[in-house]
Amino acid sequence: MTTPAGSETGQAPARRLSGLSALGGRSEGRIARLLITPGQLLLLFLVGFPAGVAVYIGFTAYSGTSSYQWFDAWKEWLWFDNYWEALSSSGFWAAIWRTVIVTGLAVGVEFTLGFVLAFLFLKQFRGRSLLTVFFLLPMMIVPAVAGFIFYMLFQTQGPVNAALTAVFHDVLHLTGPIHVPWLSDPGIAIYSVIAADIWQWTPLMFLIFLSGLVALPEDQMNQARILGAGFWHQLRYLVLPMMKPIILIALIIRSIEVFKIFDSAWLLTRGGPGDATTTISVYLYRQINDNYRYGYASAAAIIVLILVSVAAMQAIRPIEAAQEETLEELVGAEALIHEQFVDDALAAGARAHG
Amino acid sequence: MFPLYWLVTMSFKPQAEWNPTGRTIWFPENPTLDNYRNILGLTSQNTQFFQASSTDASQPIIHSLIAAGGGTLLALLVGVFAAYGIARFRAGGRLLPFQILQLRMFPPVAIIIPLLIMLAYLKLFDTYWGLWLVYAAVTFPFVVWLMRSFFQELPREIGEAAIVDGCTQWSAFFKAILPNVKGGLAATALFVFILNWSDFLIALVLTTEKTVTAPVFLNSLQSAGAGQEYGPQAALGLILVLPPALLGLSIQRYLVRGLTFGAIKR
Repeated sequence: MTTPAGSETGQAPARRLSGLSALGGRSEGRIARLLITPGQLLLLFLVGFPAGVAVYIGFTAYSGTSSYQWFDAWKEWLWFDNYWEALSSSGFWAAIWRTVIVTGLAVGVEFTLGFVLAFLFLKQFRGRSLLTVFFLLPMMIVPAVAGFIFYMLFQTQGPVNAALTAVFHDVLHLTGPIHVPWLSDPGIAIYSVIAADIWQWTPLMFLIFLSGLVALPEDQMNQARILGAGFWHQLRYLVLPMMKPIILIALIIRSIEVFKIFDSAWLLTRGGPGDATTTISVYLYRQINDNYRYGYASAAAIIVLILVSVAAMQAIRPIEAAQEETLEELVGAEALIHEQFVDDALAAGARAHG
Repeated sequence: MFPLYWLVTMSFKPQAEWNPTGRTIWFPENPTLDNYRNILGLTSQNTQFFQASSTDASQPIIHSLIAAGGGTLLALLVGVFAAYGIARFRAGGRLLPFQILQLRMFPPVAIIIPLLIMLAYLKLFDTYWGLWLVYAAVTFPFVVWLMRSFFQELPREIGEAAIVDGCTQWSAFFKAILPNVKGGLAATALFVFILNWSDFLIALVLTTEKTVTAPVFLNSLQSAGAGQEYGPQAALGLILVLPPALLGLSIQRYLVRGLTFGAIKR
């Protein structure tokens, strides 16, 4: 850590103090604005402006095959027709509903598995750190590649069915090999998509919970144990309440990510068979890519954005609260440091003069 | 681990062992490097593959490197300053960081149409600049949140001491602040690079030919129709997985922090 150079020499106290006052002066606001302006411009250009375009296009019949430029789309003005079409389209609502199911199941399983694994990893055992590294790997895999891997695994002739056959063939007295149509049966395909997500993202839950469990105050846990609290008791009254913020953050972040699921689902099933695995992202992509219906897709996307925003507003509060705590601690610490620093400077100045 | 095992072994299997009817090849019986030769475009025309050039992914891999690298640089350039402004000066008010976070909640496919229209209009469709700008905007929130958490961990006196010594705010930032968050900066850079490298959807919509990235190419191999190219696909998949896996392990301390927007620190 660097020490404030010149603090020992005690020279030029006037310059020091003027330097300090400059910290709180008008220049600060200007610098702050300067620092965030490029970021704001980037977001304006690539989020704000497109949002405007999306709203505009959403009111029109503009499509990928239109013969005019996008700003001339008012020639085919439809008012809210696109919105009504999406809101009354069974395909749209089915896609949303499917996405909700995928999110709920995937996050639920990831949470349970991750929590149990984290508990098991609390105890020291041989090869623990190596296993932890192995757990990291699925997270690092490009999601599209993960989709492709499970595409291979879930082939009717693929290794998953082969393994099932090897295990259950003799037990169940089957006559032929097991051929579960993992990807081609509309009822099963969605679980294949969920399975791929669980494989890839349970490790994140695990790591988050492990870091949370490790940070639990050991004294209290020991005390509870001495007082005779059983495992379930400890879990219910100590671990869960203390882990609550971490659990919330993990659930929220994973839910957001699964709701957007596209890459792995696309490589796994392309939304099929039929539209059995068409989540909302796949639905929108198909509207763009297969039908070129930019106007309709924009309107549908805006409806999704509104739904997500409402959910996000609820979701962001716990994160905000957790951040607020650390923020307040920090402000307190800052004030303390500041005070001492100024006092030091004043004292040094007094000494130099005295 | 089995799915990874399958990817690795598949990439060394000759065509006859990819997905034969009636039996499962658990371990390559005649291991070969042909898949890698095909994917890297090192084959001559007279191989067992009818269209050797169609599985040549060397260009898409280079595109991926340039697109992800440029997008990362741009995001850092813009994001680090913003993060410093927010952490040190509370620029933009208390709510700004949460507004930036909220951006991450929207499905990217929802803003991809206007981006497609806009980039096509600006003649940036299927160009590096198009990808760089979009990647930078998409990963900007991560840079802000991660760097903000690193700046906040830094004692405030470090910057102030430099200013007391006569530095301007700018030189204080570059000489005193930035060197102290070197580790965090590197971790952020690698993390954002992994995110950009992993992108599929954005490149799928915003490129067609000149800047097609490797994941998009992997997808086109799958839909090529002329039989499944399991082997070359697996080889490309492994090539795609290696950089993030190695980089990810090197920043594993910061991984959870990154994926939770700095909410959880270890």
